[in-house]
Amino acid sequence: MSKELIRLRDCVMSYGDELVLDHINLYINDKEFLTLLGPSGCGKTTTLRMIGGFLSPTSGDVLFDGVRINHVPPHQRAVNTVFQRYALFPHLNVFENVAFGLRIPKADAGGRKVKLPEREIQERVMEMLSVVNLKGFEKRPVSALSGGQQQRVAIARALVNRPRVLLLDEPLGALDMRLRKDMQNELKRIQQEMEITFIYVTHDQEEALAMSDTVVVMDGGRIQQIGTPEDIYNEPKNAFVADFIGESNIIDGIMRADGVVEIFNRKFQCLDKGFDKDEPVDVVIRPEDVDIVDEAAGQLKGTVTSVTFKGVHYDTIVDFYGFKWLIQTTDFCPVDSRIGIKIDPDGIHVMKKSAYSGMFGDYSSYSEEYEELDVVEDESQEGEGDDPWEDGYEE
Amino acid sequence: MRQSNRIGGRIFIGLTFLFLYLPIFLLIIFSFNAGESSAVWQGFSLDWYAALFRNRLIMESLYTTLLVSLLATVVATAAGTFAAIGLYALSKRKRDALLVVNDIPMMNADIVTGVSLCLFFVAFFQGWGAFARWFNGVQGVVALPERLVLGFTTMLLAHIAFDIPYVILNVAPKLRQMDRNLVDAAQDLGCTWMQAFWRVILPEIKPGIVSGALIAFTMSIDDFVISYFTAGSSTSTLAMRIYSMTKKRITPEVNAVSTLLFLSVLALLVLNNVREIRQERRAASLEPRAPTLLEKLSMKFNQPAYRWVRRGLAGAMACAFLVVVVLLTGATGSQPVVNVCSWGEYIDESLIEQFEDETGIRVNYQTAESNEALYSLLKSGGADYDVIVPSDYMISQLLEEGMLEELDYSRIPNFELIDRRFRNLPYDPENKYTVPYTWGTLGLIYNANMVEEEPVSWGALYDDQYAGDVLLINNSRDALAAALLHLGYSVNTTDEEEIREAFALIADASRRGVFQGKVMDQVFQKMEGGNAALAAYYAGDYLSMLDNQADGVDLRYVIPEEGANWFVDAMCVLKDTPHYDEALEWINFIASTDANLANMDYIWYASPNTEALERYPAYYEELYGEELDPELYEIMAAPPEVLERCEMYSVLPPETRALYNELWIRLGA
Repeated sequence: MSKELIRLRDCVMSYGDELVLDHINLYINDKEFLTLLGPSGCGKTTTLRMIGGFLSPTSGDVLFDGVRINHVPPHQRAVNTVFQRYALFPHLNVFENVAFGLRIPKADAGGRKVKLPEREIQERVMEMLSVVNLKGFEKRPVSALSGGQQQRVAIARALVNRPRVLLLDEPLGALDMRLRKDMQNELKRIQQEMEITFIYVTHDQEEALAMSDTVVVMDGGRIQQIGTPEDIYNEPKNAFVADFIGESNIIDGIMRADGVVEIFNRKFQCLDKGFDKDEPVDVVIRPEDVDIVDEAAGQLKGTVTSVTFKGVHYDTIVDFYGFKWLIQTTDFCPVDSRIGIKIDPDGIHVMKKSAYSGMFGDYSSYSEEYEELDVVEDESQEGEGDDPWEDGYEE
Repeated sequence: MRQSNRIGGRIFIGLTFLFLYLPIFLLIIFSFNAGESSAVWQGFSLDWYAALFRNRLIMESLYTTLLVSLLATVVATAAGTFAAIGLYALSKRKRDALLVVNDIPMMNADIVTGVSLCLFFVAFFQGWGAFARWFNGVQGVVALPERLVLGFTTMLLAHIAFDIPYVILNVAPKLRQMDRNLVDAAQDLGCTWMQAFWRVILPEIKPGIVSGALIAFTMSIDDFVISYFTAGSSTSTLAMRIYSMTKKRITPEVNAVSTLLFLSVLALLVLNNVREIRQERRAASLEPRAPTLLEKLSMKFNQPAYRWVRRGLAGAMACAFLVVVVLLTGATGSQPVVNVCSWGEYIDESLIEQFEDETGIRVNYQTAESNEALYSLLKSGGADYDVIVPSDYMISQLLEEGMLEELDYSRIPNFELIDRRFRNLPYDPENKYTVPYTWGTLGLIYNANMVEEEPVSWGALYDDQYAGDVLLINNSRDALAAALLHLGYSVNTTDEEEIREAFALIADASRRGVFQGKVMDQVFQKMEGGNAALAAYYAGDYLSMLDNQADGVDLRYVIPEEGANWFVDAMCVLKDTPHYDEALEWINFIASTDANLANMDYIWYASPNTEALERYPAYYEELYGEELDPELYEIMAAPPEVLERCEMYSVLPPETRALYNELWIRLGA
C-alpha cells in the first residue's frame, strides 16, 4: 500500500449534548479499500459525510493530501459519493444522470469556469457505462431500472468524475442477497481497475471482511479496532469487536502466566503473552475452533441444550457450568447428551478487559442474538437526532 | 330494491349537479341574450360582449385584476417555493407546526383576512406618517411621502400574502416525495447549493410549483373580499367592479363578464387537472415510450446548440415583462389624474372618456354606497379621492369638520350656467365649496296594479292593507323623514319627542309586518318585478325603474300631500388634494350644458344647469324621435310650486344624529 491520502485527526462531532464522534483518529491510504463497519448509530455514516464535506467536525481536522479541508464544500472536494438508495435524479435518463457531474462548469487553473466539450462528455459517460456493464441503457429513464442497475448508474455517476476517493454509503443495503454477492465482486473489480480509494460504510461484517483491505470497526462514536480483515477476525481487541465480527464465545478468564489462561478454574494453553500475572481477561473462543470429544476426554464438560442444522455444520449450544457456548461442528450431538470439548492453543484469544466485558458472548439468549444480527439497519439518519426528512421516501 | 335505490341515487346526484350548475348555465345563456331581460330570451347576440369590451371601467378593472394576479403569482410562487424548501430544512416537529400555521390563512374567513390586512395597512400608514413627518422635519435632503393610502400596492401585498400558503401547500408534498439525498448528490457531483437548486430541486418539484402557481393565480383572480378591503378607494378588480355593477340590477353585461370570468377560472382548473393526470400517467408507465411532438421539440430545444436561442427568448420575455410593468406604473405615475367618487349608475360613462380625451387627465372613477358610507371611508383615512358628490346634509357635515377645499370659481366658468335656485343653498350659503351635480325629490313610488286607490299620503307606508308589500328605505334619514312628514313635523326637527314618535310609527308598522324588508339598491329589482307595492325613493330612480318594469307592473310616483324632501348632490373637492387643478377641470366639464344633458338622459336625475333644463325635452325628442312626456319631466325636475312643498335636509346636531343612530339600530333588521 502506498502513501497516506486522508487523515482524520482527533475529530469530534457533537449535536448539543450528544457526542456522535468521540476523538476519531484515522488515516486512509491511496488506492486502499477501507470499510467503516459498525452497528446503527456507531458514527460510521457521520464519518463518511465528514469526508464527503456534508458535515464539518465540531473539533479536530480533516486532512486531504496534507491539506486541511474542514470547511471545503462538497462540490470542491475530489471525492464522490454513492448514496444509500442511490439518489439518482428521477428527471434525467441514465446517460444524463451519469453526465450530471461532467456538465457542471468547473474552474480551470486560471479560475475561469469552463465546460467540458460535449464530445468528451459523451466519451467518458459511455466508457463509464461499459465499466459498470450498462451499455445500451443510456436512454432509459432511471425509474425503469432494477435495483442493481440503479446501483450501477449511481457508481458510474460518481466514478465518471474521476474522483481520488469514492465514498460508498451502504450501497448494497437495498439489494437482495444474490445481487449483493455479485455486486461485492463487481465493486472490488472496479476499485482495482480504476485504482482509486474506496471508503465503504456497512453494518454487514461479511461484506466488510470480503472486500476490504482495511476494516475500521466502530461503536458508540469510537473506533474499536483498525486492521486487516484477518486481524480483526482473529485478534479482536475487545468483546465488542469479537462479538460483532463473526460468532464468539466470550468468557471471563484469568491470565495465570504467559501462554496460560484459566477458564472455569481450568488452565488452558494459549499463545497470548504480555499480561500481568493473575490479570482478569476476556477470552474469545470462536465456535468453529472447538472440538467435541467424549465427555471423559474433554477439557470442559457440558450438556447440549439445542441443536440447529445449518447445512455445512450444526449450531450446537452447550451449557458449561451455567454459561452457554455456541459450537459449530459437523458432528451431531443430540440434545441433553453430555459432551466434552477440546480447544487448541491457537483457538484461544485473550483480550484485555474493556467496557464491553460481560455484555456479549453468552448464548443463553441464542435466538434473540440471531435476530439482532438480521435486523436491517437504517443508518442514513445516524446521529442527527430528530430528523426532518425521515418521511422523505414515501411515494 | 337495489334497483330503485340506484335510480334514487342517480336522481339525487342529478339534482345536486343541476342545482350547482344550472344557475351558471343560465347566466351563460343570458349573456348571449339580445334583450335586456334576464328572464326572457329575445334572441342570440354578442352585443353584451361588445359592450363589455367597450366599457372602459370594466376593461380597466380587468387589467388591474390580471396585473395583480400575475404579479402576486410570480412573487408568491418564488417566495412560497423557497419557504417550502426552508421548511424542509427544519426538524419534523417544527415543520409540522409551521405547516399548520400555513394552513390557517387558507381556512380563515376571507373577510377576517381582508379586514385584518386593512387594519394592518392603515395602522402602518399612520406610523409611517408620523415617522415621515419627523424625518422630513429634521432634514431637508430626502422628502419622504407623508401620506400613504390603500391602493394597488397594498392589494398586491395582500394577494401575495394569501397566495403564498397555496404555493407552499402544493410544493411541500413534492419536497416530501423528493429523496433528500438528491441535493447532497448534486453537491457531491460538483454543484453549489444554488446550482443544485436549479438542476435538481427545481425539476423535481416543478409540478408542485406549477400547480401552486396556477392555484395562486386562480385564487387571485377569484378574490373579492380581501381585495375589497385592501384595494382602497381608487383601485378596483374585476370582481369588485362586477359587484358595484350589480347593485341596482343585474345587466346582461354583468352576465357576460361573469361568463368570461367563470370560463377562465374553469380553464385554469382544467389545465391544472390535466397536468396532474398526465404526470400520474407518466409516473405509472415507467417503460420508455415514444416522445410526443412537444417533447421532441423541447428536447431539441434543450440541446446545447440552442442555448443562445433559449437565453435570448428568456431574456426577451423578461424584458417584455419589465417593459409592461414599467409602462404601466409609468403610465399611471406620470399622467395627471383625478380621483372621483360618486354613486353607482350616477354618470353617463362616456363622459369620462370624453373628458380624458379632451384634457389628457385620467379619471379614476369609483363609487360609494351612501353618504354615510362615503363619510366613514373618508374618516378612516383609507380613501384618496379628489372630487366627491355628497348630498346637501352631508356637505354641511363635511364643512363643519373642515374636510372640504374652497373652490376657485374663476376656473369653473360653467358655474355661471347653474340655475339661481341651486346656488347659495343652506348647506353652502356663500357658495364657496360646491357645484351642484343633480337635484331631485324623495317621493312615494307605488305599483298602481297592487294598490286599491292611489296613495296620496306617506301614511300608506305604514298601512296594514299593504302589509308585506312595503319596502322600508334602509337609510335612517330618509326613512325617518317620511314618518316625520306624515306626523306633520319638520324633516330637520331636533325635538326628541317628535323623533321618537316618528320612530315609533315605523317600529309599530314593522312589528305589524307591514314592511317586506329594508332596502337600498334592491328597490329596483323589487319594484320593477312587481314584488313590492310601495316604497319611498328618489324621483330619478323611479324614472329609471320605468324603463325596466316587468309586464303587469305599473309604477307611479307621487309627492305626498304632507310634502317631501328635496335634495341636491353637489361636487366638492376634498381638503389638501394633490390634484386640485385636475379636480377643478373635471367639475367644470361636468357642469357644462352638454355633460348635464347627457347625464340627465342617462341617470334620469334633474340637472341644476339652466340651459340643460330648458333644452332637455328637445334633446330627448331629437335622440329618441318621440316627445318627452311632460308629466314624467315634471317628476324628474319638479316645478317650483312642488319644490315649495318640499324641505331640504340640513345637518343635524351630533346629539340628534346619535339619537337617530340609536333608534335605527334598535329597529333592527
